[in-house]
Amino acid sequence: MLSGVGIVCFAASYAVALALEISRILFRSGIRGAVMLGFAAAGFFAHTVFLVHRAAEATGSPLSSKQEWYLVTAWLLAGVYLYLAYFHPKNAFGVFVLPLVLALIGVGALAADAQPFAREPASKVWGAIHGGSILLATVSMLVGFAAGVMYLGQAYRLKQKLPPMRGLQLPSLEWLQRVNSRAILISLLLMGVGILAGAVLNLINYERQLTQLPWSDPLVVSTMGLFGWLVLSTAIGVVYKPTRQGRKVAYLTVVSFVFLVIALGVGMSVVTQHSGTSSDRGRGREGEGEARRMCRNCLPVSPSPDLPFYRSPGGAA
Amino acid sequence: MKLQVIGCSHHNAPIAVRERLAFSGEQASAALVQLREQFADVEAVLLSTCNRVELYLAVEGGCGPGRDEIAGFLARFHGLDVAEVDGLLYQRLDREAVRHLFTVASSLDSMVVGEPQILAQVKQAYQQATRLESTGPLLHSAFQAASKVARRVAGETAIHQRRVSVPSVAVADFARQIFERFDDKHTLVIGAGEMAEETLQYLRAEGARDVTVVNRSPERARELADRWQGRTLPWDKLADALVEADLVISTTGSEEAVVTPENFAPVEARRYERPLFVLDLAVPRDFDPAVGGRPGVYLYSVDDLQAACQQNRRLRDKELPAAVKIIEHETGQFMAELHHRATAPVIRRLKQDWEKPKEDELRRLLNKLSDLDDHAKDEIRQSFDRLVNKLLHPPLESLRHESRQGIPSTLVEALAKLFQLKD
Repeated sequence: MLSGVGIVCFAASYAVALALEISRILFRSGIRGAVMLGFAAAGFFAHTVFLVHRAAEATGSPLSSKQEWYLVTAWLLAGVYLYLAYFHPKNAFGVFVLPLVLALIGVGALAADAQPFAREPASKVWGAIHGGSILLATVSMLVGFAAGVMYLGQAYRLKQKLPPMRGLQLPSLEWLQRVNSRAILISLLLMGVGILAGAVLNLINYERQLTQLPWSDPLVVSTMGLFGWLVLSTAIGVVYKPTRQGRKVAYLTVVSFVFLVIALGVGMSVVTQHSGTSSDRGRGREGEGEARRMCRNCLPVSPSPDLPFYRSPGGAA
Repeated sequence: MKLQVIGCSHHNAPIAVRERLAFSGEQASAALVQLREQFADVEAVLLSTCNRVELYLAVEGGCGPGRDEIAGFLARFHGLDVAEVDGLLYQRLDREAVRHLFTVASSLDSMVVGEPQILAQVKQAYQQATRLESTGPLLHSAFQAASKVARRVAGETAIHQRRVSVPSVAVADFARQIFERFDDKHTLVIGAGEMAEETLQYLRAEGARDVTVVNRSPERARELADRWQGRTLPWDKLADALVEADLVISTTGSEEAVVTPENFAPVEARRYERPLFVLDLAVPRDFDPAVGGRPGVYLYSVDDLQAACQQNRRLRDKELPAAVKIIEHETGQFMAELHHRATAPVIRRLKQDWEKPKEDELRRLLNKLSDLDDHAKDEIRQSFDRLVNKLLHPPLESLRHESRQGIPSTLVEALAKLFQLKD
């Protein structure tokens, strides 16, 4: 019965939770918190069931398609929201986090490729580390971005000497700044681990005389740009103390988010060899598999339609 | 059954009188013991705060002490003339008493409506009376319901979130939105004005511990610092104190700004944009408004916060009808339960009287049908139970319905006559 759970089910639950969060601004209610949490938890449960079912049904590597990358990221972010909503019920986290969750689900469902990669990876461990680290770094950056936007809103209100807006209570600047700083640091570390694991994967491919991913690949360039920005912003924080404080940290997380969107946009729209290269031509299925499996789970990519092994959403090669 | 409250509050008695009638914790215990000795069957809770002295009394099945007797008791306890006390006491009975208790616990009757301390004080008074075994079923129900009502009002209206005094708004609506915790923050008081102390009270309640006082007069600085277990710094160390501070309360009597963009610039350079909350309570202002534009500085003057206070006052007034509605609803429900409780003996007797013929008939039937297996016997028993319950349902429902209007004495009498219920 649970196999019938669709994307619409959990997206609708999150949407209702978001509507209830927004309704805080309009009126007060004693039971709204519980109902809101109930919808979000129901959505999270359905989301979990959906992903488990997809993983179990996968013909290739589980949860390795672009679509699933977005859905897993949304699932983790929804988990973060549930935690915050449960332990800080007075704060309107949902207004900032749930739109990101819904956007990820929307992009995953409407624009991303649902085709999974082949089953056997070049290195299962390094592939998982590479993909998992970059996925978690993305979630961390999204949490940091939400906290950054909340910080800027809260700081603006406090500077303008406005009383708290009914129903849109935000955490203190101190709390938001702490989350911001940690989000940047965690995403830097995870992104670093992810890129390192990607390099190791490339090395394994080189040793096995399989296809390597060129450093000039648009997705690699945009990911390295994002990583470079994270390194730079952290380095600035070490050298220039004021950037460790207040609004500057919030701005850093917002810019990091812009870099992230660029990297995701490149993965979605630009032809990249991240999931296969033109030199795979003639290598047959083996070359296809190696190239695809190398980077499963990392930033989602758009494979070249002219590649001989390109599979359309319908499954045709 | 009678519930009543007798007392005085800031509404009808000046502070001079309230002070004379007030009870310390020990006095309240002694008074409850004496009251119990004097009126053996009376349940009592004594609520004594800065703004009110109230005795909540209840008697099940009697009248309890009257207003004059309680006035005499209070006067004797405090060594006052009865005439001094008598005219200042109000009395509320039954439904009015319950509504009054709910209103007080919800902080709608407080001097500063929405102040959160009163519920804790009500709970404390109830716990003290319970400890001294001066409460009974009626006051247990009433005070537990009062806590529930107060929680509802706090949860379903924004009355408690709307602060209306400048220091409370400064701390609750602004300082607390900047800092997550206060126990690791440095509070700097510039000047030794009285206004600073009220703010310090709120900050201390939030956990602030470290207080530094900088004042032109070291003696006055020392006095204030001693009261708040703080330290003092000489006036020429103001810049250093500002570098260290997280929260600043400024109340000097200076004719000119004490902190200007010029003398704040070196401080700013040493603070690295660390957030600084400044509450400028001085008139004229101690902080040049331009300082508030610097990164990380959140500067609030009295005028800034007055606007927020007024807005809060308006918003709080808007919430009042919703709070009153909750109290009315809960009072109605409580009274209905209370009245229904008075019908309990009749209901009990009715059930007992019907139980006996049911059991007799059941026994007779089962004796005749001795071949039946256990399952069939159980079915018959359950069927008899259902029949009795169905027959009892209409009269019991009528009793519950009538209880909403008051104790249904006529109906109770009618039931007793109809079914020949005996005591």
